[in-house]
Amino acid sequence: MRTVVDGVRSWRHDLGGCLHSCFATLLDFHGLPALPILGAAWTFRHRPDGVRREEYYYPCPPETSLLRALAPHHEVASTWHEPAGAEAGWAEVRASVAAGIPVAVAVDNYHLPFRPAYHDVHSNHLVVVHGFDDEAGTVRVLDAVPPAFHGDITLAELTASRDSGNEVVHDRDMFFTGVRIDNRWLSVELPAPDAVPALDRAEVARVLDLNLRHFAEPATGDGGYTGLAGMREFFDDTVKRLSAGEDIRDELFVAAGAVLVGTAVHADWLAEAARTAGLPSLAERAREVERIAHHWSAVRIMAALTSTGLSAPRLAGRFDALLNDQERALLALDRERAQL
Amino acid sequence: MSSPLAVDLDPYADNTGITTADRKDAGGFNIWGNTYPADQLPAAGPVRVDDIPFRFPPAAPGRPDNVRCAGQLIEVPAGRYDWIQLLAAAERRTEDPLWLHYADGGVDPEWLRVSDFWPETAAHFGETAAYRCTHLHYPRHVDRKFGPSIWRQRVPVPRDAALRAVRLPDNPAIHIFAMTLVPAAGQEHR
Repeated sequence: MRTVVDGVRSWRHDLGGCLHSCFATLLDFHGLPALPILGAAWTFRHRPDGVRREEYYYPCPPETSLLRALAPHHEVASTWHEPAGAEAGWAEVRASVAAGIPVAVAVDNYHLPFRPAYHDVHSNHLVVVHGFDDEAGTVRVLDAVPPAFHGDITLAELTASRDSGNEVVHDRDMFFTGVRIDNRWLSVELPAPDAVPALDRAEVARVLDLNLRHFAEPATGDGGYTGLAGMREFFDDTVKRLSAGEDIRDELFVAAGAVLVGTAVHADWLAEAARTAGLPSLAERAREVERIAHHWSAVRIMAALTSTGLSAPRLAGRFDALLNDQERALLALDRERAQL
Repeated sequence: MSSPLAVDLDPYADNTGITTADRKDAGGFNIWGNTYPADQLPAAGPVRVDDIPFRFPPAAPGRPDNVRCAGQLIEVPAGRYDWIQLLAAAERRTEDPLWLHYADGGVDPEWLRVSDFWPETAAHFGETAAYRCTHLHYPRHVDRKFGPSIWRQRVPVPRDAALRAVRLPDNPAIHIFAMTLVPAAGQEHR
């Protein structure tokens, strides 16, 4: 059998990664607007014991799926499938694609010939699969993360990447290594396109209200840090841990990457809402939120450099600036909401 | 109008972002150890980008060729300038104020915004691409599918007063390869 599911398009955010790219592609395939759904929520959640060494890590509240964690303001969800092995893993993905439904699969870049990491470093990544040719032994893969790839690889290559142990072999196997891929794959549960609210003033008011409520939540909950108060506590605790000589590099790097993309995509949502709802002042709020994403770009690199001596006072200085801007942005969004 | 003045950043350089194909591991622009291929960038010395003169840094194995921003105070020849022109790139786009120190004691923040060096990524802040490479160095291989960029960005010097120093932000995601001061119309640097 040979099939390629059409209507699978690439989506990329320059501050994001494979997680948002894959979900956006799947949303788009099902006729749903990616940015209005993926960008609506703006949250801060961190569980030190919940960070996973995956490029597609995103903090999930208990009993909350990955897609739901990204887009809690919409009736969406995802399911991680954990096949018994490589054979079952391909059978399940093949069945979905044969039924006309593309899926996202976890892979180790080490085994993918189109990735720069090919036969160099291991890294836990996510790509979309939407076709196969049984006779040729190939699969159709979409990866929006540069170098963008949309084409066929052999099933053997895909299987190797999915069944990989993702081992830490040398010092360049950083951050996203050491967690088995285990042939996992993601399916999504989505509403009908006409059930998604239009991006109008009412939707802006609804979303701003939900986000502001989130940031007003108590600092701790679900065993982690939540909201604005949680962000403040997390920053304080992280600086203390670094000052005490604790290795915070990987945890902060992976966590910062997730907050970075969440913040950046929300900034784009605000900018899009400003255009569609005719709210010029909201475009200014979008830029303020984008500024916070740019703080997180700095935090991410600072985190990585803690292992080579970046000091706690430098990290604390960045956290202070970020928190000040975060507080100002939330106050401005609150004023914006009051005028809607 | 007097000529633009290329600032010597060599004393401040602390990151090796450019390597040769035979010594790809002798640097690390980003935290992953990627570097720009030397054979796709200018040799050390004067270059012009968008008709603005810069001094491109020397590249040699392990030799720092760019400044990773960490709050360095860069003294400049005192003078009235309109623009600080930069060749820069970032590890993911980012922005921060740099501090302009004037000879009369005045100090102002001005935004420095730098886009991602990563291949297949467009300028976000309206910079022009000074250099676009076609391949990217990894410590153990060369990837010829894509290449990184260096951007030309500029920062205004609004005060009609002599500038004497620039404080870079403490943001290690931002790297600066070259800096040129463009004098205010009719002004000489002194």
